[in-house]
Amino acid sequence: MQELTFKVQRYTPGQDKEPYLQEFTIPFTEGMTVLDCLIYIKEKVDNTLSFRSSCRMGICGSCGVLVNNFPMLACHTPVEELQTDRIEVRSLPNFPIIRDLVASLDLLFEKHKSIKPYIISSDIREAEEPTAEYVQSREELESYVQFAYCVKCGLCMAACPTVATDALFLGPQPLGQVYRYCTDRRDMGAKERFHEVDSPHGVWLCHLAGACSEACPKGVDPALAIQLLKRAMVFDSMRLAKKRQPVTLAHLPVESKPKIEVPEFTVK
Amino acid sequence: MKETRLKILQYITGIGLFFFAGTHLIVSHLSSGEPTTWESVSGRAASAGWLTLYLLLLIFGLYHGLHGLRTIILEFSFPNYAVRVLDWALVVIGIAIFGYAAYIPISAF
Amino acid sequence: METEVASSEKPHLPNRLGVKGWVWAGRYTLERYLYTLHRLTGLGLLLYVALHLGANGFRLGGEESWTSAIDFLTNPFGRVVEYLVMAAFAFHALNGGRLILQHLGYTLGKPKPPIYPYVDSMRRRRLLTWVMLAVIVALAIYILVEFVT
Repeated sequence: MQELTFKVQRYTPGQDKEPYLQEFTIPFTEGMTVLDCLIYIKEKVDNTLSFRSSCRMGICGSCGVLVNNFPMLACHTPVEELQTDRIEVRSLPNFPIIRDLVASLDLLFEKHKSIKPYIISSDIREAEEPTAEYVQSREELESYVQFAYCVKCGLCMAACPTVATDALFLGPQPLGQVYRYCTDRRDMGAKERFHEVDSPHGVWLCHLAGACSEACPKGVDPALAIQLLKRAMVFDSMRLAKKRQPVTLAHLPVESKPKIEVPEFTVK
Repeated sequence: MKETRLKILQYITGIGLFFFAGTHLIVSHLSSGEPTTWESVSGRAASAGWLTLYLLLLIFGLYHGLHGLRTIILEFSFPNYAVRVLDWALVVIGIAIFGYAAYIPISAF
Repeated sequence: METEVASSEKPHLPNRLGVKGWVWAGRYTLERYLYTLHRLTGLGLLLYVALHLGANGFRLGGEESWTSAIDFLTNPFGRVVEYLVMAAFAFHALNGGRLILQHLGYTLGKPKPPIYPYVDSMRRRRLLTWVMLAVIVALAIYILVEFVT
C-alpha cells in the first residue's frame, strides 16, 4: 500500500442538510492508525475536518468512529488490519452528529448515570471514612472485573439493534455496568438497580444479537454481563437468589515495619 | 418485577409451544393420510385430548405472540406513560381472539 | 441583521439507524443476523396464526364450507406457504431454545479478565450455535423432502 483513499463523513450544522462523504488521498506509512490518518488530513490537507481524540492509546474511549461499516476506536485500529486501501470513516451511528465525525455521547453518559454507577455500601461511614480494607477473594473479583474495564466509548451502543430504534432503551453499556456493580460484594444496591432496569425499556429489550460484544474494543463483553444480569433478576423474582453475606473488613496492623531512625540534618 | 415475570412466562410458553405446536404441525402437515378432511377434523374434534391440546396451544400461542408483538412496539420508543394502555389493549385483543378461536373446537366437541 | 447562532446551540443531527438497523447495521457476524431472522420468523408466524385462526372459522359453516375452504387453500402457492411456516417454526423454536438458555446465562461460560486478542462469550461458544443451525437445516431439508414426496 503506497496511498490510502479515505472517504470521510463531513457535516457542518447550519450549512449542510445531511452528511456527505469527502474523499482524500494520503500517503501510507507503516504502523499508521486510522487516527494518524485523520490527523494527517487535518494537518496537511483540510484543517476544517473535526474529530474527537485524546489519549491516542485506546484507554479514554473518545475516538469511536464507524470504519468500513464497523465501529472502532480510531487510535486502536492500524490501517493494515483493515486489509484495504479504501477506507470509509463515518461518525458512530445511533448518536446525534455534532459536526463531521464528532458524535454527541451525552445520552450515553446520562443513561450511565441513571443506573447509579458507584458502590452503594451498607456502611456509609466506613465508605466515607475508611478504617480498613474490604476482603474479596480472587473468584469474587473475577466475577465482575472483566466488566470494570469499560471505557465508555459508546461503540456497543452504536452496534446495538435495539438502540437503533428505541431512544428510551438503556443500552448495553449501562446494563453491563448494572451487573458489574450488583455482583460486586462491596455493593448492596442490587435491588434498587433491579427496579430501575425492570422497566419496559430496560434489560428485557436485549435480544442477544451479540453485536455489542463484537464491537467492544476492550473485551468487556457487555452481552455476557446483560445475560448474567437477566439470570440474577429471574432468580430474584422467583426468590431463588442466594442470600448474599455482606463483605468483611480486614483491619491491617498499623505498625508492620520497624521505624527507621531519621539521621540528623547536616545543613542546619 | 413485572417485566421479569412477563418474560419468564414468555420462556415457559415458548417451551410449551415447542411441544404443542410441534405436535399440531406434525399431525396437520407431515403425517400421512388426509389430516384436513372433514372426517379427520371431526374425529379430532370429538377427542378430549385434542381439545385440551388445542386450547393450550391457543393460550400459549396467543401469550407468546402478543408479548413478542408488545416487545416490538415498545422498541419504537413507545412512551412509558402509555405502556399500560398498550398492555390492556393487547389483553383485550388476546381475550377476543381466544374467545372466537376457542369457540370453534369447543362447539364441535 | 440576523444574529449568528453558535454551533453549540444548533440542534445536533439525529443519527439513529431505525428499523434498517435491525436488518443490517454493519459487518457483524452470526448471532446478530440470527436475531434478525428470529424476529422475522416470529412476525411471520404471528401473521400465519392470525390467518389460520380466521380460516378455522369455516368449520362453523359445516362440511361444505370447510371442504371448499380447504380446496381453495390447497394449491402450489399454499404448499409453499405451508413449507415456509414449518421451516420458520423449526428455526424459531430451536433458536428460541438457544436464546432461553443463553438469556439465563447458561452455555456462555464465566466472566474472565480480558486478555488480548479478546474473544467474547458467544464466540467462545460458537460451536453450540453451529450445531443448532445444523439441526435446523437438517430439519428444513427433511420437511422439504416430506412435502415433495
